[in-house]
Amino acid sequence: MAKSDFDNANPTVLSVSQLPSRSQVKGHVRKGPDSKYDHILFPKQWWAGSSLNSDPSVWTSDEDEDDDLALATEEPIDEQEIYDLLSTISDPEHPVTLGQIAVVRLDDIHLSPSPAERLDPNTLTNVEVDLTPTVNHCSLATVIGLAVRVRLENALPPNYRIIVRMKDGSHAQDDQVNKQLGDKERVAAALENDTLKGIIEKMLETCV
Amino acid sequence: MSNFKDWALQYVLSDDETAQSEIAKKAAKEIENTRASSASVGSWAASIQPWITITKQDDDNSDDDDDDSGSGDIIARAKALSFLADTLEALDKSLLRPEQVNMVVGFFGAMFSYDHKAGITASAKALRQLYTMKGFKPAVGVKMIEEVCKLKEDFKLQTAATRLEIYELFLSLTQDQSVNNELQDKYGTSGGFIVDILQLCQNERDPRNLMLWFKQLPIFLTEYLTSDQVTEEIFKAFSAYFPITLRNSATPIGITADDLKNAVRACFASHHKVAKLAFPFLVGKLDQGDAITVSVKLDILKTIKACVEQYDNPQASVVLYVNKIWNSLKYEVRNGEVKETIDATLEVLRAIANRLDGTKTQKFDVSLLKNYIDIVVDDCRDDLANPTYTKQAGLLLMTVITTNTRAFTLESAAFVDIIRKNLRQPKSPSHTKDLLLLLNSTLKSRADLFKNRKQGHPEDEEALKTESSAHLVALYHDVYLPTWASKSEETTSEVLKQVVQGLALLATQQTLRPDGQISLLASRSVCSEICSLLTHTLTKGLALSQNDNSADTAVEDEAVLALQSVVATYTDGYAELVDRAKVEIEKRDWTSPSKYTLNALQDILSRLAFIGCSRIPLNIALDDEPPKSFKPLQHFIKLAASMQDLFPLSPLPTSEKESLANSYVISALHGAMLHFRDACFEKFGHKVLEAYSGSDRNWIEDFQGLPKNWLHQLQGENGSSEVVIKEDDPEVYREFLRISLFIVRHLYREAAYGKQAPWSERVFAQVANLAALVVRSLEENLQKSCNLAQNAFNFFFSQDLSSSGPSSLAPFRKLLILGILQGLRPAAMTELYAPQGIAETFMCDTSRMATVLLAVGEIRGTICAVLANKYKGGQSTFDPESETMKRVLSFWGEQLKTAINTDNTDPAIFEVYNTVAMHTIAGACGRQDKNVLSLVPILHEAIASPGPNGAIVARTIGGLIKTNELLTSENHAVVKRFYKQWAYTHFAKPLYDLALPTGDEDTAFAAGRYTIAILSLVSNCPFEVYQEDLPALVRLLITALNNNSCASASNGGDITQPQVATSLEVLVEILSHEPEALMGHLKAIITAGMKTYEEAAAQNTNKVLARNLAAARKLTLQLLGAIPKKFEERHLLPYALPMQRMLAMASGDKSREARKVALLARENWAKISA
Repeated sequence: MAKSDFDNANPTVLSVSQLPSRSQVKGHVRKGPDSKYDHILFPKQWWAGSSLNSDPSVWTSDEDEDDDLALATEEPIDEQEIYDLLSTISDPEHPVTLGQIAVVRLDDIHLSPSPAERLDPNTLTNVEVDLTPTVNHCSLATVIGLAVRVRLENALPPNYRIIVRMKDGSHAQDDQVNKQLGDKERVAAALENDTLKGIIEKMLETCV
Repeated sequence: MSNFKDWALQYVLSDDETAQSEIAKKAAKEIENTRASSASVGSWAASIQPWITITKQDDDNSDDDDDDSGSGDIIARAKALSFLADTLEALDKSLLRPEQVNMVVGFFGAMFSYDHKAGITASAKALRQLYTMKGFKPAVGVKMIEEVCKLKEDFKLQTAATRLEIYELFLSLTQDQSVNNELQDKYGTSGGFIVDILQLCQNERDPRNLMLWFKQLPIFLTEYLTSDQVTEEIFKAFSAYFPITLRNSATPIGITADDLKNAVRACFASHHKVAKLAFPFLVGKLDQGDAITVSVKLDILKTIKACVEQYDNPQASVVLYVNKIWNSLKYEVRNGEVKETIDATLEVLRAIANRLDGTKTQKFDVSLLKNYIDIVVDDCRDDLANPTYTKQAGLLLMTVITTNTRAFTLESAAFVDIIRKNLRQPKSPSHTKDLLLLLNSTLKSRADLFKNRKQGHPEDEEALKTESSAHLVALYHDVYLPTWASKSEETTSEVLKQVVQGLALLATQQTLRPDGQISLLASRSVCSEICSLLTHTLTKGLALSQNDNSADTAVEDEAVLALQSVVATYTDGYAELVDRAKVEIEKRDWTSPSKYTLNALQDILSRLAFIGCSRIPLNIALDDEPPKSFKPLQHFIKLAASMQDLFPLSPLPTSEKESLANSYVISALHGAMLHFRDACFEKFGHKVLEAYSGSDRNWIEDFQGLPKNWLHQLQGENGSSEVVIKEDDPEVYREFLRISLFIVRHLYREAAYGKQAPWSERVFAQVANLAALVVRSLEENLQKSCNLAQNAFNFFFSQDLSSSGPSSLAPFRKLLILGILQGLRPAAMTELYAPQGIAETFMCDTSRMATVLLAVGEIRGTICAVLANKYKGGQSTFDPESETMKRVLSFWGEQLKTAINTDNTDPAIFEVYNTVAMHTIAGACGRQDKNVLSLVPILHEAIASPGPNGAIVARTIGGLIKTNELLTSENHAVVKRFYKQWAYTHFAKPLYDLALPTGDEDTAFAAGRYTIAILSLVSNCPFEVYQEDLPALVRLLITALNNNSCASASNGGDITQPQVATSLEVLVEILSHEPEALMGHLKAIITAGMKTYEEAAAQNTNKVLARNLAAARKLTLQLLGAIPKKFEERHLLPYALPMQRMLAMASGDKSREARKVALLARENWAKISA
């Protein structure tokens, strides 16, 4: 494909490791050449024998290290989780994700009320996502916005209101694009269009 | 003689090949009968006259005979000639006299002049037959070739099969030395016949024929003296095909494009007299640049390589073109992007260097190689200073220099010097990295050359003895140390990693002394400095604080690998390393360390064990020193002695966490054993002990005379009373096991009767695991002779000392017993099973049950499981009547019965009882002990009994077949292949009927309990075991889900909640294996699933319960989400809407894990559109 076919032929691409992620540092992770037998030498539970008892806490003294209890901790949906939902959407032009070309940014995702204030999971919550197109004349901004919207609608519970916009000043016609994305009727009509639907399905294929 | 005429006629009229060959055989027989009299041969030849004569007339009448009218005749004529050819084939090869052969050759030869339409196939065939006859004379061969060549332009009109015959004929003739001589005599160097054949065969296209043609052409080059002109013609004949390809054909012919490529390549490389044509031709092709594809490029490069390697007399053939080849090839690497081409190019360059060096038996003059390397060095020198080309130029240089020993000894100094100069003024960190990489690769190649020195020319080995290596030794001070010291922000960790690798390569370089002894290249001081530099990298972690980010794990890991290889050759380095680390560790107070410091300790100890014990060290002298004492086990002993000194780091730990430091010391010992065992297996194979199967020494007895600090004594130089073991003697492994057993004994004695404070349950468990490793590695005889079964209970004290008995020990010390028992082989344990012996007493011991913790009960139970599993009774054992296990099992049967029937047994105490009982039975189950079956009614009764204790039995009965990690074949346990099926059939199957709800109040309670028991068993079985009971099982599962609310768990019924989870797990399993079984129950499953999810979403403040609820939600979502993947849309349509609504809500679940599963489920259900 010739260069001129792209709105932006050369976006800055971040590597996956540079993207914001939930910090996975739990305890002391050892990966060196000497760690081959760590599962035998430093077991999580101090005794690895078979046990009739289903409660593993008998064998661990340190509660923080009990992974199973992580399942019980209540973790409300937060900005990072929204980011994780969106950052894996593919760009329609390049074989990279929206996270990698920073169209979706963690700082531009806002929840109100914030996760900390939301005691009841059924509270009506607003999710605002501001997108930053790689160039300010990007003709695909609407398509990207639509994909983001579809992804969130498919993944969030019904008590979340979704607002997708172009970040102020990031796009030459942000008003128009925002209006399009905010109009339920137009969004629904757009999704009736088979071509458009095909493009969006392709973009969402990479989501896990 | 009219016979021949009849036969000829029959032959011509026949279309059947077998019939034809029969006729030919008859004719041959007839000729043989007459001893090939002139008359018979004459009339045989004349028999085909009718067809031949007509032909002549035909040919005379019309030159351009149109095919329609003449075709019949041509076919008949061809057949007639074939009659003669076939007869010749069947004829005795020694029969015809030379003049007869000559005559027949004359006849068939003439066909090539006159009968191009019908005669060629048969004639070619006939000539090949005649060539094999005894009466064949070389001069006739020359005549044959000349006759065939008369075919001229019409050759290409022949069918491929006919041409194939002719190629075969040429090949046979030219491979015949006598014919060759005749040809050479007649034609001389002008090679007229070659030119004729070349002209005849040009434009061949058929792959099969080409394969023969490419076999023919090298023969012209190798067998005949040809003038330059002819040589050039021959070269043209095959070079015209280069590069050859093969079109895909619908009918496979058994020849691939690669076959053709190889055949053409062989033509190029066949003789050095085409060198002056081949090299310019090939290089010219290569220089076409982008116009050629990668595969063509590879073809060219491989062909050049073949030529370089195969031409004789390289001084005359290769040397002249080295410059030309180099000038073209260097760009392939310098500017190349495709890995394959770069590799192939380097192969060519390496081939040239090897060719110029000489052969294995004869070395050429050194100037040839030197000139070549000089050209390369001159061209690449400047590129090394240019970061863009450093890598490529270095690759070129290194490839050439490290090709062989001579090249290396000649030029390595100059090469290293160039790199060194560049490293002084690097253009960027990546430039430094590239240069270091080159240096390291050079060192690595040197090590390889050194290792393979025996395979080369003897001169090479001599060269190594006198090799000047000062430039290599100097690298430490000139290059590596300054780069390491100049650590700045710019030096990336990549550069440091290269430095570390380089240091390791430098310290492990070996050299050959003039007396043929091997020693280390670097001096003791350099090796020692390298070691301490790397050691510092590892120990500094202990001195840092949590907020200090200067530790770079990648560099540290590299240092670990580097030290591993350094101390394997520079053996003194390990003691220095361990001592330094020990001092650093002892400096600190380990009573209440921070988590960060503990991690640092864990790292350093684990690394020490890996560095010293994952390789068996080599006995290599230092250059300037006399040989010193060496033990292959010295690193292992050093580490073990040091750990012995370090333990306990925290003498009075008050919490589990504080005792971690102690457990890390034991882990280091355990790790060292694991690594050393692997090293032995790698060197000597896994069957290393088989040679010793007869050994029955009692090591434990030997140990009694040894002091506690025996390991320290072993380290000393004077430990020479020990037998000297060489590093490649499998005895190393046995000695390792002996020392390991000493360590086990020492630890056990300390743990059992030494100071108790440092021993927490974690440390006990660690020691037990270590003991298990050592014990299971010993073979049966040693386990017996060391009396390990007894020692498991005595803790290596003699009988008298342990009069207080093991039961008086702190509860967790039972782990020590388990450690040894789990590694023993059944045959080494039989004495334990004597009636009323140790095993029986232990298994039937119910004293103090009421006061022990559940965890202690588990450990005790597991010991019982091992004992019950490794039991062996019968003739010639200590239990000749095989009664011991029977008694034990019936004892537990009675115990359970009593406990269930007397209501006053406290459930908490009963749980401990039950644990020990279940484990004991489980051990016997693995062996499929039929005494277990007598317990079936007792257990079934217990399950149905009212009261909470029955529930405990129901819930835990699955433990009978729960996979136990200690009962594995590695641990010499007896686990029958189908024991799970066996137990399932006896314990679970009879319950299905009883578990079905009947509506009757009385049986409903028991049915509920039976359901719990079935679930407990099923959840521990693989799917195949319960597959045939699916219909009943699925009904039970759904009932279980519907009747039990997992939210009610907090209301005291602690059984229901795990049961829900188990039901869900089993359903998920069934869904993945045999979804059809669930088809009829879809509605019930979906409804039950939705209900369960809703109930499990309730709030719960108890952490453990909340976790169970979250797990139940996750499982439910997993089950519901997997349904759309397994069933057709039409079955699911009615549930789509409610499911989508429910999953939309579930994607707001409190737990993040559950939300992830909900999201997947939602995607799956979204595809079902109402």
